Amino acid sequence: MSKEPFFYGIRHLSPAGAFYLREFLEERRPKLVLVEGPCDLGDELVHMQNPKARPPMAVLAYTMAVPVRTILYPFAVYSPEYQAVLWCGENKVPCRFMDLPTEVFLALPREAEAPEGEEDRLDVYRALDARTGEDGHETFWERTMEQAGTAQGYHAGANLFGENLRELTRERERDWAEIQLREAWMRRQIRTAVEEGVAPDDMVVVTGSYHVEGLKNWSQPPSREEEEALKALPRTEASHTLMPYSDYRLSSRSGYGAGNRAPAYYALVWEAFLRGQPMGTAYSYLSRIAAYLRESGTPVSSAGVIEAVRLALELARMRGGKIPALRDLRDAAVTCLGEGSLAAVSLAVADTEIGTGIGSLPEGMSRTSIQEDFYRQMRELKLEKYRDVSAQDLSLDLREKRSAASEKSAFLDLNRSFFLHRLRVLGVSFAQTQARCQDNATWAEQWVLRWTPEAEIELVESALKGDTILQACGVQMKEQAREAENMAGIAQVIEDAFFCGMAAAAVYATEELARRAVDTVSLEELARTAEKLSVVIRYGSIRRVDAAPLLPILDRIYYRACLLLPGACVCDDAASGSVSATLQQLNSVALAHDTLDQESLVSALWQVAGRDDLNTKLSGFAAAVLMERGLMGTEQLKLEVRRRLSPGTPADLGAGWFEGLAMKNRYALIARLSLWESLDNYLETLDDEEFKRALVFLRRAFADFTARERDEIAENLGELWNLNGQQVSEAVNVALDTQEAGMVENLEDFDFDF
Amino acid sequence: MEQNNVQRLPAEQLFQKEIDALIAAEKDPVPTGWRMSPRSVRTYICGGTAGKTKITPKYIGQERLVEIAIATLVTDRALLLIGEPGTAKSWLSEHLCAAINGDSTKVVQGTAGTTEEQIRYSWNYAMLIAQGPSPAAMLKTPVMTAMETGTIARVEEISRCASEVQDALISVLSEKRISVPELGMEVPARKGFSVIATANTRDKGVNEMSAALKRRFNIVVLPTPADLEAEMEIVRTRVEQQAGNLDLNAAIPDQEVVEKVCTIFRELRNGETLDRSQKVKSASGVLSTAEAISLLCNSMALAGSFGSGAVTDYDLAAGLQGAVVKEEEKDVLAWKEYLENVMKKRGSRWLGLYEACRELNR
Repeated sequence: MSKEPFFYGIRHLSPAGAFYLREFLEERRPKLVLVEGPCDLGDELVHMQNPKARPPMAVLAYTMAVPVRTILYPFAVYSPEYQAVLWCGENKVPCRFMDLPTEVFLALPREAEAPEGEEDRLDVYRALDARTGEDGHETFWERTMEQAGTAQGYHAGANLFGENLRELTRERERDWAEIQLREAWMRRQIRTAVEEGVAPDDMVVVTGSYHVEGLKNWSQPPSREEEEALKALPRTEASHTLMPYSDYRLSSRSGYGAGNRAPAYYALVWEAFLRGQPMGTAYSYLSRIAAYLRESGTPVSSAGVIEAVRLALELARMRGGKIPALRDLRDAAVTCLGEGSLAAVSLAVADTEIGTGIGSLPEGMSRTSIQEDFYRQMRELKLEKYRDVSAQDLSLDLREKRSAASEKSAFLDLNRSFFLHRLRVLGVSFAQTQARCQDNATWAEQWVLRWTPEAEIELVESALKGDTILQACGVQMKEQAREAENMAGIAQVIEDAFFCGMAAAAVYATEELARRAVDTVSLEELARTAEKLSVVIRYGSIRRVDAAPLLPILDRIYYRACLLLPGACVCDDAASGSVSATLQQLNSVALAHDTLDQESLVSALWQVAGRDDLNTKLSGFAAAVLMERGLMGTEQLKLEVRRRLSPGTPADLGAGWFEGLAMKNRYALIARLSLWESLDNYLETLDDEEFKRALVFLRRAFADFTARERDEIAENLGELWNLNGQQVSEAVNVALDTQEAGMVENLEDFDFDF
Repeated sequence: MEQNNVQRLPAEQLFQKEIDALIAAEKDPVPTGWRMSPRSVRTYICGGTAGKTKITPKYIGQERLVEIAIATLVTDRALLLIGEPGTAKSWLSEHLCAAINGDSTKVVQGTAGTTEEQIRYSWNYAMLIAQGPSPAAMLKTPVMTAMETGTIARVEEISRCASEVQDALISVLSEKRISVPELGMEVPARKGFSVIATANTRDKGVNEMSAALKRRFNIVVLPTPADLEAEMEIVRTRVEQQAGNLDLNAAIPDQEVVEKVCTIFRELRNGETLDRSQKVKSASGVLSTAEAISLLCNSMALAGSFGSGAVTDYDLAAGLQGAVVKEEEKDVLAWKEYLENVMKKRGSRWLGLYEACRELNR
């Protein structure tokens, strides 16, 4: 019992703990410091000690095999563990992590997310909350530990807290078995160190106060079962990296377990400790809130801040404290600066408590190769200034800059676009495209760039797919193509490959597509795929992608679609909308590529236009397309109009056909007086009931004509009826009065079923 | 004046025993001018024990708000309590004064007719004319008295006062003294002086408080009770207290009656049923907790004077009708809709009340 290591029980992310621990180390000058943390992360210690590494930072460990599992160890500047590591670095004292290695942690079976066994611990906290009558154990902890005032007080308090918590939840915690294992492992690490010749009392063990009790009997040889269990630990291949972290992620509000509610506030507490003025936190917290409010346009007087400090102090006193806790400060801010309402100061409070701080690491520090590739490309593409937590816009012009000196700078924006698209495909949330306006869709791109620690994690995760971004992106696309559920999914991959400038991936996906196109019978899907391919082929040149291998497959898909077209036109009115859109797509694809066999589409169109057994609206639309293409002349149209609108044709068929026809080339239609004459004659022949039915269709057909177009139609009708165009126009364009509106309403209820 | 005949005793007399017990059991330091420590004030307001005496809770709600209010008064800042009508603003202010000073009677009631003199001082004009200005001819206001004695003055409904009256209060609060040029003297405030003002959020725009005045106050917003249980608790305690005061010859309404009234009030106030499954039209009135309390007392009076002594659905219905229907047309509709769509479908437990209410609404 004579020689014992010193067990320093701490709470993670505790400014007071960090401060006193440092003081303690300074005084005790141990020869070895053991810190609770996975022992295989030892190589990160050097990086953490690098003076250029700025917290918050985190160590991320991840499995090499899919599905990727990760664990994260975040450190803030006021993490006692971090300060212990730093102290060791400054004083050239060896330092080790002593917990189970990450390869074991990641292999331990994890129960599903339901934390049922946590109940006990929660119960204890709840009982604690009820006893203190405050808003939670965070406040309890702050008042009793963080504000303990002396190192001894903190140390004794933390140990007692850990001991009691351990007693109360002993053997009932869900992961009790795991805790046992971890402590056995840590005891072994202490023994190993002693065997290596470090005197126990030259050693300081920094661990969560909960574990202090479990480590005290380190010198006892382990039991047999324990040995067995340690030997039988599962392992999985794992890798790890140090990465920058952010205040936002640290705050538990964003849902990450290991963190605290108010990282920026605790940073203020830490600074106050360093200055030796514990009250300083109150001043800096409230002044910050005031400054934020002023900046956002709310006047706040210094007198108000002073009052807030006094109130906070008084609130702390009512609870027996000498220094305001976070809760007192926030309530004081609400009362004195926010006129009693939290809403008025909530943004300022969030900014001051959570903060926007983000850590940084010197370049090249323990990164996976894909991260290195990322940072190299960021540099090459001059994108580094966008690596920031606030969102920034970036607009790209993909065209070659002919004035540029080198090819690299001539295609800078294009390469940027490739890079950002590749990240997008990999699911790294660094860049988001913005909707583009149609005019410059092909050569201009709008991006919003925002760098977050999440993006870093996503980047690290994609390391599994390859060592560089290009490689990982290729693997990702192949996977997507293989797993796509339909052709459109593969077409999406092809489009992505084109956006990413990756011809090889495009070819791979195309082959996959060709294989599947044979089995596909959905016209809609074929047309959508054809359109996507068409875009890639047409605009491939601007991205310098050779689209030639895509042409044959487009040809096949297009031909299949043409064959399926007449059959798809047997449908009801509800479905006709999507078929007409498909028809339109096919038509524009055909028009865009001379190499496609125009005849196959045209003959299909003639079929649709001429047959009487198809949906009349689609027949009308096909006629409109033929007219647009200049294939249906005036005479033919006149004939067709007369045939379709001949007396005796049911109103919904006749008017439906007209509706389809009117979906295109309005000006050409308006100009043809004979058309209106036919329509007029047709309507004359209808009886009252039939007329009502026709009215519904016609009303729909004319609904999206502009006022000007209606004017012109009115002129035509006026001519037919020998009326002044003006009068007809007024009658047509005037808004409905209530009585008429009522009549129209009745039409809507019209029963079409008979 | 004989105490028993007073219609409403001030808080410090009603709860004399509790206050004495708290003072006797005092362990913490007492601020200058106070009769007990801030913690004891909290116990007095929120309930607890002092020695062997049980302290009844006076304010049921967030204890933290009470703490903020008390801490404000310790810092000699003025306190402004704002909230919807019937959220116990005046109630809290009265009890704070009772506990801190043992005197809750230094009140200025803010109205449209309140003048500056009611804040500062005025004169006994007969004496002023007969003898000229003298301290004896001066009439001190509650605020001035509070300054002289180092105690707390209350200003009720401050937003109803005209702006010059509010301005008069500014100088009192910032200078902490009132000068009396007629007598060539100044009345400085002794330690312990402060002001508790109350204001109504529904009165916004009547006389908006100036930024300068608001800056002199720490503002505490009192919320409506958070949930049904809290509101029932408040209503039950207060009805018991009042019934004792008013000598009503009726039994205290049982839990079920209180629950029904609170449910109806909460639902019509929030515009949806308690389980949030159905929207209801909200009534134009405030339907505050205070109204629920007076409604139940009314019903008790009805039952005691004309009925059997137990509050029946019929007694309740009359009260409810009066409380809900304030603006004839609109409220009648809302109330009828509520009766048919919500209450009728609540099953047998509510059937009696529903029948009685419908009867009155015919």
